Amino acid sequence: MSNTSHEIESPNEKQNRHKAMEAVKLLNTLREDFKSPILSMEYFYDLFERVYCKHESLHEGKTKIGTMCIQIPSEIIYALDGVPIRLCNGFYTDDEIGSDFMPQKACPLVKATVGQFASGNFTDKPDIVFSPTTCDQKTKAGATIESFGYKIYDVDFPRTKESEASREYWRRSVKQFAVELSKFQGKKLTKTNLEQAIKKIGYAQSLYHKISEFRKHEFVPILGLDVFLITNAFFFDKINNWIEATEKLVNELEQRVRNKISVSGKVSPRIVYTGSPPIFPNYKIPQIIEESDAIIVADETCSSNRMFNDMVAVDEWNIYDMMDSISDKYLKGCTCPIFTKNDDRIRRIIQLVKTYKADGVVYQAFAGCTVYEMEQRSVLEAMEKAGIPILYLESDYSPSQGGQLSTRVEAFIESLKTRRRNKK
Amino acid sequence: MLNIKKKINNMNLIRFRFWFQIVAFALIVYGGYIGLDLGDKLPTFACVFNGEGTGGKCYVGMLQHDLKHPFETFIGYGGFAFLISLAMFAVWFWVLNKAWCGFVCPLGTMQDWLTTLREKLKIRFSEYSWASRGKIKSIKYILLILLLIIPVMISNSVLGLPKLPNGLSMPFCDICPGRMLIPAFTGNFNQFYIDFTSKTDLVMTLLGMMILGIFLVGAFVKKRFFCYFCPMAALQYIFSKPALLKLYKDGSKCTKCGDCYRACDMDILEIADDVTSKNLVTEDCTLCLKCIAACPEDGCLEANFAGKTIFESTKEGFILRMAMNNQKESHE
Repeated sequence: MSNTSHEIESPNEKQNRHKAMEAVKLLNTLREDFKSPILSMEYFYDLFERVYCKHESLHEGKTKIGTMCIQIPSEIIYALDGVPIRLCNGFYTDDEIGSDFMPQKACPLVKATVGQFASGNFTDKPDIVFSPTTCDQKTKAGATIESFGYKIYDVDFPRTKESEASREYWRRSVKQFAVELSKFQGKKLTKTNLEQAIKKIGYAQSLYHKISEFRKHEFVPILGLDVFLITNAFFFDKINNWIEATEKLVNELEQRVRNKISVSGKVSPRIVYTGSPPIFPNYKIPQIIEESDAIIVADETCSSNRMFNDMVAVDEWNIYDMMDSISDKYLKGCTCPIFTKNDDRIRRIIQLVKTYKADGVVYQAFAGCTVYEMEQRSVLEAMEKAGIPILYLESDYSPSQGGQLSTRVEAFIESLKTRRRNKK
Repeated sequence: MLNIKKKINNMNLIRFRFWFQIVAFALIVYGGYIGLDLGDKLPTFACVFNGEGTGGKCYVGMLQHDLKHPFETFIGYGGFAFLISLAMFAVWFWVLNKAWCGFVCPLGTMQDWLTTLREKLKIRFSEYSWASRGKIKSIKYILLILLLIIPVMISNSVLGLPKLPNGLSMPFCDICPGRMLIPAFTGNFNQFYIDFTSKTDLVMTLLGMMILGIFLVGAFVKKRFFCYFCPMAALQYIFSKPALLKLYKDGSKCTKCGDCYRACDMDILEIADDVTSKNLVTEDCTLCLKCIAACPEDGCLEANFAGKTIFESTKEGFILRMAMNNQKESHE
């Protein structure tokens, strides 16, 4: 035996290796474990593999604008020639690193985000980070991240959305954000570049809406897991590539609907998914659902539907009105639980159940995500009143609780099947 | 049938309305030259001072005239005739409901032209604060009551008060900017004057000229500035419930995104925030239908004529109207 030289793995290499393992495990499941796979999904599987397993950079030479929540308008970032990178993180590896900087019972998503900043290990490192003051943990995480030596800019976000004051307040925040970013980029916001960016994002959203339309069919042509992956890719992908790949996917889905090719069984219960966002590769709950012979037909989460549903509507295509309408889009239609009231969210879930003919709702809250945990009661009450079965689950990023969760999900799905049979 | 429906829902409402308003404007302002006469009970500002050109006459003008009689005349035939007039006004109104304001009214159209001019100059519009917006709502009713009471008080002594001078016989027409502007479109500038013959005339014509100035400046900075105070709108609203054309909302489909509110020239908050009412034709609504065109939710808002949906909000239509349907130019 020859003397092979042993190199000691650096912490970043170890982190990368662990993250690659997490990523590849999910990607393999998505590629192989489900029936009638979609050919055009390969672009997305490959994209995640390139970024999270091979650690390829996508945006070399561009200014990367980190965002901590969906409320930072991508329209303005694109108009000012930046690339928005949403930093919400789903890796258990990063969650563990972040645990050293956050309270023990903090939200795993925020911990993972902080963890990645602590490691400084990015494939596309953000040049500046904009952090909207949404939930407590994200608001406070900004300062922690700043202490690691990053450029963080807080964007004031109101916690009510009904009042005139909150609308004005947020419009001013967005204007201030545009001014700061414009200074940082050394580029002026113009009618032309903003209008183009609005229409581009609007087009991307229209593609998402087309996919959603297909999910209303009796034969559901696409897995909820795949849709989460597509919307997740929008966090960081080159927008033109994303649009092109999604266009292809839409065409393929159109054919599948015509040929009645379904990814689910005939009796698979249809699920609306709500609560804390599934972010790659933490698709734990959606995966359990779809592996237990149910199909997610719609969702109400900020990593997917909430990010794409509401669109900017401009009345006068001048900067003043475009800015106002961008601001309103990110505040008024938002159903984030950080707001004082949640009637809008409840109405939205019920509406999704109706339009997507769902049999039940699965509500997931990350242990430590206080706002979703708090809203659980009122949502459950409202669903009971509306006669919609709902399952509430608490989970985190750890790979260990699978067994207990899948027992509960399976039981729920069985009960939905029985309910449907009895109805007939 | 489905295809036609889709075409309508996908239409460019702004363009359609622009041309509709021009045609309506031409008929109302110049219709008289081609022999058009829609009578004198029209629920819109078809100005009686427009002489030969006018294609019909405004009922608010007529109403003031009708009321300037001693009480006795209203007992018996006079009162009956008055009610018939009012009923005819209501019938006209029921066809289009408030769309008389959003699609026909020449004063409304002129304000929209000023809005277009401002937009072209890239000047931002002004808005009222919500508090002021609420407060000014009552002004149109006060104006309506005044224009109803003053003519009565010319011919009658109400509550023992002395009779009012005859110069006040058409008090609202005196201050209505339509009296000056509409005839001006047929080359008649005779209404731009200040009358010094009596104190009443001096005050009223002076007020009229001032309001004209405020109208022009106001409509330039604030969309549909005058409509917030319009007594015609107040009178119409009394009859709005049984009208054929309606604006309906299905609150369960609403995400309260506020797109409709932002499109609304009358800043009607209910259009976005009310998720329980079905009929959304509120007192200040002009049924311009811009809210429907700006709504991205399938079937959330609709224009309904006699129980039939004629135009409804759709995602597809929204995307087309916002020109988000095709993205060729690269962003690299």
